[in-house]
Amino acid sequence: MLLSIVSYGLALGAVYALIGITYNVMFAASRVFSFTAGTVGMLGGVFGALCIDRMGMPVALGFLLTLAAGAVLGVITEVLTVRPVLKSLDQHLYVLSTLAFALMLQQLTAIEWSTEPQPFPRLLPFGPGFFDQQFWLPISACVLTIIGLEWLYRRTLVGRAFLAISEDNYAARALGLPEQRLRVASYALAGAIGTLAGFTGGEMMLAYFGNGPLLNFYGFVPVALGGMGSNRGAVAGGLALGLFQQTANFLVGGIFASVAIFVVFILVLLVRPEGFAGAAPARRV
Amino acid sequence: MNDSATLPLPAVQRLKAGSLEAWLPTAMLAIAGAALPLLGDSYLGVIATRAAIYWVLVSGLNLVVGFAGQIAIGWVALLTLGAYVTSVLCAGTVMPELSAYLALLIAGLVGAIFGLIIGLPALRLRTFYFAMTTLGFATIVTQVALAWKSVTGGGVGVPGPVLPWPFASPWGFYYFCLGLALLCTWMTTNIAASRFGRSLVALRDAEVAAEAVGISKPALLVTVFLFSGALAAIAGGLFASLQSYITPDAFTFDLSVLFFIAILIGGRGSILGPLLGTIILTALPEFAAPLVAWSTFLYAVLLLVIVLAVPGGIADMLDFKNRRPLERHREIRPRPELLAHIIPPSAQESLLKLENLSLSFGGVRAIDAVHLTLRTGEVHGLIGPNGSGKTTTLNVISGYYPPQQGQVRLNDKALAAGAAAARANQRIARTFQTPRLVGSASVLENVMIGATTAGRASFVESLLFLPRHRRDEARAQAAAMTALAAVGLDQLAFVRADRLQHSELRFVEIARALVLRPLFLLLDEPAAGLSVEEIKRLGALIVTISRQGTGVLLVEHHADLIFDICDRVTVLNLGKVLASGTPAEIRGHREVINAYLGA
Amino acid sequence: MPTSAPEPLLQVSALSTGYGKIEVLHGLDLSVGAGEMVALLGPNGAGKTTLLRAISGLLPKSGRVHFAGRDLSAASPRDMVRAGLVHVVEGHRVFTQLSVFDNLLLAGYGMPRREREGKVEEALAFFPEIAAKRNDRAVTLSGGQQQMLAVAQGLVRHPRLLMLDEPSAGLSPVLVDRVLAAAGRLRDAGTAILLVEQLIEKALLLADRVYALVRGSIVLEAAGSAPNLPKRLEEAYFGQPQPPLAAQG
Repeated sequence: MLLSIVSYGLALGAVYALIGITYNVMFAASRVFSFTAGTVGMLGGVFGALCIDRMGMPVALGFLLTLAAGAVLGVITEVLTVRPVLKSLDQHLYVLSTLAFALMLQQLTAIEWSTEPQPFPRLLPFGPGFFDQQFWLPISACVLTIIGLEWLYRRTLVGRAFLAISEDNYAARALGLPEQRLRVASYALAGAIGTLAGFTGGEMMLAYFGNGPLLNFYGFVPVALGGMGSNRGAVAGGLALGLFQQTANFLVGGIFASVAIFVVFILVLLVRPEGFAGAAPARRV
Repeated sequence: MNDSATLPLPAVQRLKAGSLEAWLPTAMLAIAGAALPLLGDSYLGVIATRAAIYWVLVSGLNLVVGFAGQIAIGWVALLTLGAYVTSVLCAGTVMPELSAYLALLIAGLVGAIFGLIIGLPALRLRTFYFAMTTLGFATIVTQVALAWKSVTGGGVGVPGPVLPWPFASPWGFYYFCLGLALLCTWMTTNIAASRFGRSLVALRDAEVAAEAVGISKPALLVTVFLFSGALAAIAGGLFASLQSYITPDAFTFDLSVLFFIAILIGGRGSILGPLLGTIILTALPEFAAPLVAWSTFLYAVLLLVIVLAVPGGIADMLDFKNRRPLERHREIRPRPELLAHIIPPSAQESLLKLENLSLSFGGVRAIDAVHLTLRTGEVHGLIGPNGSGKTTTLNVISGYYPPQQGQVRLNDKALAAGAAAARANQRIARTFQTPRLVGSASVLENVMIGATTAGRASFVESLLFLPRHRRDEARAQAAAMTALAAVGLDQLAFVRADRLQHSELRFVEIARALVLRPLFLLLDEPAAGLSVEEIKRLGALIVTISRQGTGVLLVEHHADLIFDICDRVTVLNLGKVLASGTPAEIRGHREVINAYLGA
Repeated sequence: MPTSAPEPLLQVSALSTGYGKIEVLHGLDLSVGAGEMVALLGPNGAGKTTLLRAISGLLPKSGRVHFAGRDLSAASPRDMVRAGLVHVVEGHRVFTQLSVFDNLLLAGYGMPRREREGKVEEALAFFPEIAAKRNDRAVTLSGGQQQMLAVAQGLVRHPRLLMLDEPSAGLSPVLVDRVLAAAGRLRDAGTAILLVEQLIEKALLLADRVYALVRGSIVLEAAGSAPNLPKRLEEAYFGQPQPPLAAQG
């Protein structure tokens, strides 16, 4: 039982952490949060099932196509819902535009795919085992993503350019960095990470349009707790959330577990609106 | 104040006519609604009833989302709550049966409390975070409804309440809901045209300026959340009655989306727009069968289109008044003689003393032991090179930042540090470096915001259009018109503020500050962006304001303006006071010149 | 016999721009010749930073900007950098979380790798003090060192015209002299410089020509060596001085 809690907890936590990273990468590039983060996570599962089960593709191809679809959705998010409103004076339009796009994607999935959760294919040809692939796939995806991002930011010039536009957009523009292109690339990367989360977590969460709002919320909790833009915080928060959720599930049952998570979330935010690792808000006047 | 004698007559007439124009569409809808049963189509009746019920909820949510600008997406939680509370109380499963009316009332109370609980995080959290928490609430409430089988019947559900005769029949019930919907329209329209409505919009679009005129964000938001929660819960009870039987899956996320989008499509800050939006979104899927499955998708597309193309929504599209072109070469001609009607003469001199103010940001000393005395009836200039601490000083006086050392004294009483909203009551008013106004509101409404603290009517009195509210409104309008006439902009009173030129916006800010009948007026670079002629007129206006008895602190870069009109000048450099004296003394002061020239 | 003068390296004509509804610059003209240092002086709020932003493309504008013989009125900052005009912004804004070396590499983003690393080394050679800290994160540098890093970033692409926005702001006098001396060396080596400065006396020592900008318009244009400049500038900023009260009897 304890093992089950730990495996499910860490695995789901890894999925949540990856969605949190998706939020963060989009935030780092544009200073706004996007409701599409959880939605691309959901689509990772749906596209995976679509390609591999429905269309019969080999797993590797389905995987790559899913990631590519995630990148494309990330780009569309930037072009359609973020770029047009960044220029406007109304600070909060991005919440509405990204929400609208996320809803459109969700409804489209419900109508075209299914309103019921559909099974997700077995990815690797080994049978159910002691530490099953449905657990270590998302966990390793999370670890690889973190390592990959570190390598990107530390070792490549592009990654350092991402950090530059994230820290000081104005100075980056003045220096001649192709700020727009870099932002689009960040969103593409974020989209791919989101679908990676959904794809590797597919067997646990199934291919279901309702995962969208679920991942939107549970993927955001690590960001809120760990601090905006902090990937390490998101991982810590995500894993903690996963374990807390499974423990609560076991102790008090699914519904009160959700209530418990939600209450903790609100309380932490009310006490520390910037999260545990976040910075204090900027001056208003 | 005998200012009614100075109001230009055409303006008074326009004020009265405006209200008739506003009521016509609603009156037409009411008549159409009342006549609906004549068509004899009972299915139409059901849709219309549903639209009326949704509007009861949306009218309240409109104040939260459309006016206060809070992105509360998960309001279906309150619909669910109200539905279950009413149904359970009427079904008699938990306690003896109650009458439907009493059950609705209790649901309203419960809704008010939960509206407050869901809304409170808005006071602390960033927009996106708050939106997320409301979504979370919506999910939780549905799950609790599923789990708490003993009370809610779990997945099986409970029967909805039935209203007694004459509202038991479908058409009878329809009239009940229609009546309630019209009542909600009337009440929220009253709020929109009250200091509460204007304050909400000010909080949404110009929060910093709202504080400066004394608007208290917590108090106002608490009020709207209570009101909105109550309406939503009552709507829930009616919804349960309409459905006859409720289960948790009747309260989908799609409903929350519908409510939210109806407001945005209708246009923020409007009552009629969201009303039309609600009717359209409720009716649309019913009249096109294939649309039903796609309805939420279409709502989302509509939302995206509105956000990207017409952020003002239907209300904007119907705003023909503001499409009429304005005169091209407008001049601002202040009439300083009218200031006598605005600023009351004061018997004795008041002093605003800055004592040893110090404040650091990060490791940098923004202001260091700043001392200054401002007298009523005097124009005091505050100048200095960039980074000298002028704006920080102003922000400390007006209460946005508490000083780390020192204090600000008004006639020997220390002003509360860091309490910007308290300054209005002390008759300390200010303008801002960049004009902070509500672009989508009219110039008059923007200036009336200055009269917020002078209002005496409570929220309920405004809701019900009681005499004290009407008196407040008349007084506020008169004061605002006089202030606008004094700064020379009364001809533009009914124009949307975002259509004005930059220089005109600066004068609107001054008018707004004047409505506070200030003892002390703090002006932050009012001449920036003004033409030479406008600066001359601004100078004359400021001098007259001070001669009326107001103490003016003028932060400026325009050396001419400072040396022309100031009685005294203080120079700041690198956060410290460098010199203080008459303009002539300062102009010849070697150190001052060097500070500016950087020698 | 008038011969047509060669077109200056930078020619700005009828430039107007602002923020939102506020017009800050009102149709002004300005030029910088190849290899000359031009100082742009003026009181706060005059629009000096706005002018540099308009020239480099950070702000939309109306009017014309000709650089190196091409019409670059609609150019983005990236286009400007590639054409040889680099804008070092106000406030020594460097990327604090990255190392000195990375900051300089980013200045050469888009150049072939070999060339980029070579130019970064040359820029570092100009400022030996920060060369010693090449692998330290920029947040560990003092204000003066960050300013030098910002100027070094400007050098990486060997610009033909370097625009410096108040490089002395917030620096101690010693560091100010160092930074301005570096600017002088650049000018001697052939780079044109448009220098916005608050410190008039120091700027006048170095500049070949001077403009004074007051409230969005050019009110004075003179050679750096023109007589009586400080007095003329004082009058431009403040208006005519009133005679001291004592003299009025």
